[in-house]
Amino acid sequence: MDLSKLKKRPSYPFETIAVAVSFSPRCQPLLQQAKQISDVCRASLLLLHIGEKTKEKEKELEEIMDKSGINPNHSRVIWMEGEPVDTILKLCKLNIVDLLILGALEKENLLKFYLGSIARNISRKAKCSVLLLTNPTNAPIKFKKFVVNGVDNPKTIHTINTSLYLAKLLKIKDVSIVNEVDVPGLAMTIAEDSTAPQTKEIKKSFTENSEEVLQLVIEKCDIGNINLNNKIIKGKPGYAISKFARDKKADLLIINSPDTHLNLFDRIFAHDIEYVLADLPSNVLIVHSRV
Amino acid sequence: MVNQLTHTELIVLLLSISTMLIVSRIFAELGKRLKLPVVMGELIVGIILGPTIFGMLYPEAFDFLFPKIGNVPFAMDGIFKLSVIMLLFVAGMEVQLSLVLKQGKVAVYTSMFSMIIPFFTGFAVAWFFPEIFSISNEQGPKLLFSLFFGTALSISALPVIARILMDMNLFKTNIGMVIIASAMFNDLIGWLIFSFILSLTNTTHSDHISLWYTVAYILGFGLFMLTIGKKIIDKTLPWMQTKLSWPGGVLSISLGICLLSAAFTESINIHAILGAFIAGIAFGDSVHLREQAREIIHQFVTNFFAPLFFVSIGLKVNFIENFNPLIVTIVLVLAFAGKVLGATIGARLGGMSRNHALAVGFGMNARGAMEIILGTLALNAGLISKPIFVALIIMALITSLTSGPLMKRFID
Repeated sequence: MDLSKLKKRPSYPFETIAVAVSFSPRCQPLLQQAKQISDVCRASLLLLHIGEKTKEKEKELEEIMDKSGINPNHSRVIWMEGEPVDTILKLCKLNIVDLLILGALEKENLLKFYLGSIARNISRKAKCSVLLLTNPTNAPIKFKKFVVNGVDNPKTIHTINTSLYLAKLLKIKDVSIVNEVDVPGLAMTIAEDSTAPQTKEIKKSFTENSEEVLQLVIEKCDIGNINLNNKIIKGKPGYAISKFARDKKADLLIINSPDTHLNLFDRIFAHDIEYVLADLPSNVLIVHSRV
Repeated sequence: MVNQLTHTELIVLLLSISTMLIVSRIFAELGKRLKLPVVMGELIVGIILGPTIFGMLYPEAFDFLFPKIGNVPFAMDGIFKLSVIMLLFVAGMEVQLSLVLKQGKVAVYTSMFSMIIPFFTGFAVAWFFPEIFSISNEQGPKLLFSLFFGTALSISALPVIARILMDMNLFKTNIGMVIIASAMFNDLIGWLIFSFILSLTNTTHSDHISLWYTVAYILGFGLFMLTIGKKIIDKTLPWMQTKLSWPGGVLSISLGICLLSAAFTESINIHAILGAFIAGIAFGDSVHLREQAREIIHQFVTNFFAPLFFVSIGLKVNFIENFNPLIVTIVLVLAFAGKVLGATIGARLGGMSRNHALAVGFGMNARGAMEIILGTLALNAGLISKPIFVALIIMALITSLTSGPLMKRFID
């Protein structure tokens, strides 16, 4: 597999968008929303089905595509048998997919979560950006509020830029860039020998530092006429932004792709993206910056 | 007949506790001006109030304030035991295993090597040269001491390290996070091993339960608390914090869980400290635990139980009589060499530059309060002699004092 085209490929624009087809009741609305997004991004649409190709399934897919307004001449359908997660990831790499759209439940039962559902496992491993749509409907997409992570990480600038690219296309005005302040061991450190003003000063310095870091990143981004709200929140990374997005009733939470290969331990001792995947607060876009 | 404190004994108990609290606070505040760790001030107070100085100069007053007979020593022993349980609970509260996973390869390598190398260095020296430490050459005591000595050299002190990193403005840097994550992992493994060693020292227990049962109990309890126990705490905490009195509700429930867990591990012949430590991890790792609740628990334990515990150390041991320069030197050399080398190798293998890896090595070298607690428990369990205990205390203090300045050399 020649992956040279994938390396250093920018995280946006989305030129090729793929959607996983499962023939579930949510399949048709999912395809309809994928079609809308690909139209907005002027991207080519790729439909991936992992499973046996039968006459019945082909016919059913044709009907779904027709209902969703997908023109077979302007899209491609790939059928392949195999283990769903690995096969979808392989197809995404082979076809230089920029964005993979998947339907996902907001919350899965405990066993399924720890074992890893298809959508969540793809989100953990994908080498392209992944959009998890929690409640696809036949109505036109009307995103109004984006919440974007602004953590201190080299990937963040790509994530913010991708968010801004999408916000411009979808004409979103309300974009919140959120940096989470979490200092492990702080309570213990200040407990024994800090005065009240010192404690206040220490906490303030961490918040100010996070603000500076966020400001430096934002200064490098192509903001255009979008009104950005910078926000510093306290709490564990991943959990805090997830709660913020839920409280704000965001339509889309946009986060960095994971830095390390995630496994069962990361679900048991959850951190960052795992808090988001455990209970999706809204639709979630995981931006793979390919850096 | 029910034994209870007499009127005079109660006065003595209250006097000794208040003396320890007030004098240690004065010394802690003075030490703060000199940038010394609080624990150092508390230890010095113990030495001053204990047999080393006060007991030698005013033996009668010393015997009055800290009597060795009657009911007061029992009451004090109960308070000290409770103190160490509480200290381990708050130490556990700051352990976030997710941080090790989050930091990835470099934290995993650093924590592994910073444990393995000092552990085996300490174990080997104790095993092959037991005469240095006046340990009998019999297989059993020698093995126990070697295991303990290895553990004592491999543990780190998260509170001291966190303070050093904060003072150096390194807390949120890559180096800082690697050190914090690795120290957390060191603490967890160190206390698991130490609990295992302590359970082996209990002779009645080893008559009945095999070694493997002990290991299975420790691992089983740890696994249960860190998975199902943690999940239950996580689910009930929001309810506790909103429906019960604030912050009283969460304070009493959390300390109750700590004591319950400590009682359970003690009842299955693993030391109570493990129960408290693991309960601390399960509780402190919850995303729902409010910052204010965490701070209140820390304030309460750190400013009431910690001074009593650390001052009590000086009350029990005469530091001048039990100072053995050879043992102190050996412990210091092994502690520095094993930890700095181990952590540096780990950080290098994890991809850090030479200088940053050395900074991590010296940062991880601070032993502080954790080492002192470990040494005290070992002394009480009869695992080590007083000269070794004194050497460990000195090592804990010197490593804590030198950690920051030595780190600085490699950061600049």
